Amino acid sequence: MTRLVVRRLLQLPLILGVIYTLTLALAWGVPGNPLDNPEGRRPPPEVQEAMLARYRLDSFWSFYASYLEGISGVRWVRDEWNGTHERRRAEALSLGQPDIPAPIFDLGPSLQYRDRTVNEIIGASLPVSVTLGAVAITVALVLGLVAGIAGALRPGSWLDIATLGVAIAGISLPTFVVGVGLLLVFGVWLRLTPVGLWDPPRSIVLPAITLSVPYAAYIARLTRLSMLEALGADYIRTARAKGLPERSVVLRHALKNAFLPVLSYLGPAAAMAMTGSFVVEVVFNVPGLGQHFVNAVQNKDLFLAIGVVMAFSTMVVIFNLGVDLLYRWVDPRIA
Amino acid sequence: MVKVLWTLLLLAAMVAAISWSDRPLPRADFTIINRGDVATMDLSIMSWRNDFRVARLVYEGLTVHDVFSEGYTPLPGVAERWDVSPDGRTYTFHLRPEARWSNGDPVRASDFVYSWRRSMLPDLGGDYAQQFTLIRGVASFQRWRLDALREFAASPRDATRPERAQELWNQTLERFDQTVALRTPDDRTLIVELVRPTAYFLDLTGFPVFSPLYPPAVEAARSIDRETGMVRYDPGWTKPPRLVTNGAFVLSVWRFKRDMRFEKNPYYWNKGAIAIDSINAPSVADPNAEVMAFETGAVDWVSDVTVPYRPEIIARRDAFYREHAPEVGAMRAEGLDDVEIDRRLPPDPRKNIHVFPSFGCYFYNFNCMERLRDGRANPFADPRVRRAFAMAVDKETIARDIRRSGEHAIDCFIPPGTIGAYRSPEGLHHDPEMARTLLAQAGYPGGKGLPTIEILFNKDGGHELIAQNVAKGWERELGVSVRLEMKETKTFREDLKNANYMVSRASWFGDYGDPTTFLDINRAANGNNDRKYHSEKFERLMGLADEEPDPRQRLDLLAQAEQVLVEEDLPLLPLFQYSEIYLFDSHRFTGISPHPRQEQDLSLIDVYGDGKGTDQPRTMHHGRGGSR
Repeated sequence: MTRLVVRRLLQLPLILGVIYTLTLALAWGVPGNPLDNPEGRRPPPEVQEAMLARYRLDSFWSFYASYLEGISGVRWVRDEWNGTHERRRAEALSLGQPDIPAPIFDLGPSLQYRDRTVNEIIGASLPVSVTLGAVAITVALVLGLVAGIAGALRPGSWLDIATLGVAIAGISLPTFVVGVGLLLVFGVWLRLTPVGLWDPPRSIVLPAITLSVPYAAYIARLTRLSMLEALGADYIRTARAKGLPERSVVLRHALKNAFLPVLSYLGPAAAMAMTGSFVVEVVFNVPGLGQHFVNAVQNKDLFLAIGVVMAFSTMVVIFNLGVDLLYRWVDPRIA
Repeated sequence: MVKVLWTLLLLAAMVAAISWSDRPLPRADFTIINRGDVATMDLSIMSWRNDFRVARLVYEGLTVHDVFSEGYTPLPGVAERWDVSPDGRTYTFHLRPEARWSNGDPVRASDFVYSWRRSMLPDLGGDYAQQFTLIRGVASFQRWRLDALREFAASPRDATRPERAQELWNQTLERFDQTVALRTPDDRTLIVELVRPTAYFLDLTGFPVFSPLYPPAVEAARSIDRETGMVRYDPGWTKPPRLVTNGAFVLSVWRFKRDMRFEKNPYYWNKGAIAIDSINAPSVADPNAEVMAFETGAVDWVSDVTVPYRPEIIARRDAFYREHAPEVGAMRAEGLDDVEIDRRLPPDPRKNIHVFPSFGCYFYNFNCMERLRDGRANPFADPRVRRAFAMAVDKETIARDIRRSGEHAIDCFIPPGTIGAYRSPEGLHHDPEMARTLLAQAGYPGGKGLPTIEILFNKDGGHELIAQNVAKGWERELGVSVRLEMKETKTFREDLKNANYMVSRASWFGDYGDPTTFLDINRAANGNNDRKYHSEKFERLMGLADEEPDPRQRLDLLAQAEQVLVEEDLPLLPLFQYSEIYLFDSHRFTGISPHPRQEQDLSLIDVYGDGKGTDQPRTMHHGRGGSR
């Protein structure tokens, strides 16, 4: 167990390194000047060149090396070592100003939000996305399991067909339709939730439900299928023959096995849900991380684009590790 | 079961944490939606209009624009008075002794020198660094700095590099003191020497980029990049609690993608004239949500309405105005401004949408180079062809039937009525007959011999419909074939910069009250001359205007220069004047100016009946209600 955790955590930087290289290579290829302001004025060419050099955007390799130095913490260690941080602290104090401490893992400045570092942006938006995603996944799990089990117990019944139908609708309906629909009913008509303004906890409800719909639908389908398989197995017949109550047969014996495929789906699903969704964030004005995936690439905000990809990758690795650990707990044979 | 409970508990804790850290701000006296987000509070690198709107609230320049006067008269700001030398080149500003920073420190003349020096440095790449070249010595200082940086970048990467970078910075400061004509004989006097008499300099000193920054806060964030030798600033200083400003309000909260809050600055010298104590600006990304937030009463002013059903809202308002046509007509005749007329009409939610002509122009660029980027011959190198294409466009239809937002088609480049005494030339009107004649004279009778015309525009923003209409007109009237080319904004901008297009969509907003704010982008050496236009005649007129000391004659020269643009050479084809479209209830508060420069000074807002301020409507008619 400990060995697994240590091994995975040691692999993490390696995985991130490969992802970083690939992401940067792709993002670098996006046409356009990252420092170009989409509507505003353009400084003289020499100044534009100087600005590219200032952010190391003048050559792929110098950007590659400089960003790696910041994100890996090498720069922080070096500046701590040679006293740069100490000197800056002293200078700030002598001006009567509080010091601005340098982050250890520096993800760089945002080119689009000029007053924010990528560390700040992720720090402000990731907690929102994680909370929203966690609520959504919990809702999805509860709804999905209940619907899936109900369908599997009476295959072919009206209940089964109804849940299947809802599940298919849930998978195929785009989030913006579900989201706008919910907003119209609960926000505009019933005035139960604020519209367009972020005011938690009230404003978490609708986006969480919207976000949970496709996951719930998928979980319902997964559960139904594997429950059907499990319920037909020999050990269930044995359990029933023993005279166990039906509730215990279904929940304790069948579900425990049938849950495994759901569990392996949960890892990436949780990572996806907790890093935000562009559509849900725009519709409900959620200050989450998802919008930056799209905007950063469109605006060629290299630092932010790579930063959010790194955050997402780290979460996927950690959640997969979590799922592996849960597997061992659910099914000791896997260890 | 216990495990499930623990999970739920953890979840509840997370929700609670988010709810606590993101709890909404207390209701403010006034709430605005300031279109998207503020990108920066750093004056030196600002370039968006929503940023400037907020900057005017928290920073104050030497002068302040009177947004309710026809000519945007400069009023005393930090400077209580100023003297101009007889030759119009030297300005002496006398700073008011009671001007204070938001921490109580006095605002000194040297603070202006510090900020201006920082803003003009090429190191920051500010879009408005060029504005400072009006001051004697700035152009040569900027050139010197760029050369020095280039030299430094090429120097050997050895152990002495950090020290040499520091040394270069010290030299730069010295160089600045020697070359740039800014002097501060004492803390309350700032002497500025200009390269030439500049009629609009006092207008410019009211532009936020010329407002002061608090030097200690900015200095503490400065470091020197050992690789390039450039100065860098950690953005931490631009946010509360580190941000120190000198305007009517201070920024007290700024939560990323959530909201901003402004409170009255207790140290502001004229705080008695401010009629509200606090302003909230929640961050709303979705245009529909903006409108809904206004309709549910959560916000008082939406600064930019961009919903797709905007024309329908405007149509409802027009219907209301038609119902009240006689009263409106009478009040117009009386000379009342649009906001005041609106206020005197009976309250009605239909009229909460407001359309004001603004300081911007939507136009098409013609590529003026002999050959296109890919080597093909360019028919638009011939001014006759450009004139013909310009006259074949039915702009009225575009403004009326496509934009449907109460905008006006224009034939000149500078939006009419925006700059005090300036009068734009007529320009070329819609005249398909004349267009065909011109095209034939240029050697393309009936469009024969012309290649397929390509119109380049960017995705989003409804540019496609306009391009389709223009294309239809050209195909119908001139017999040419037209192809539309839509690109992502970044790629589009790159193509413009490289003049890699035939005809392209463009827009421009003015910054200060002088025709050069528009005309300059057509000068050959200007970085924004996307048309690669070069005309001896235009350059000569602009040069003469630069040297002309008499303001009246100078404006005449500039009008002649604009005439070259819009009647002879047509490097660009003006389509319509942009409108600003706001949502607000004119019965609830006053302070929004209908002046087409549309800067808005939110410190003038006075909410009716809240027990604060004089509740006197501010109108263009009577100038500023209550002096500052």
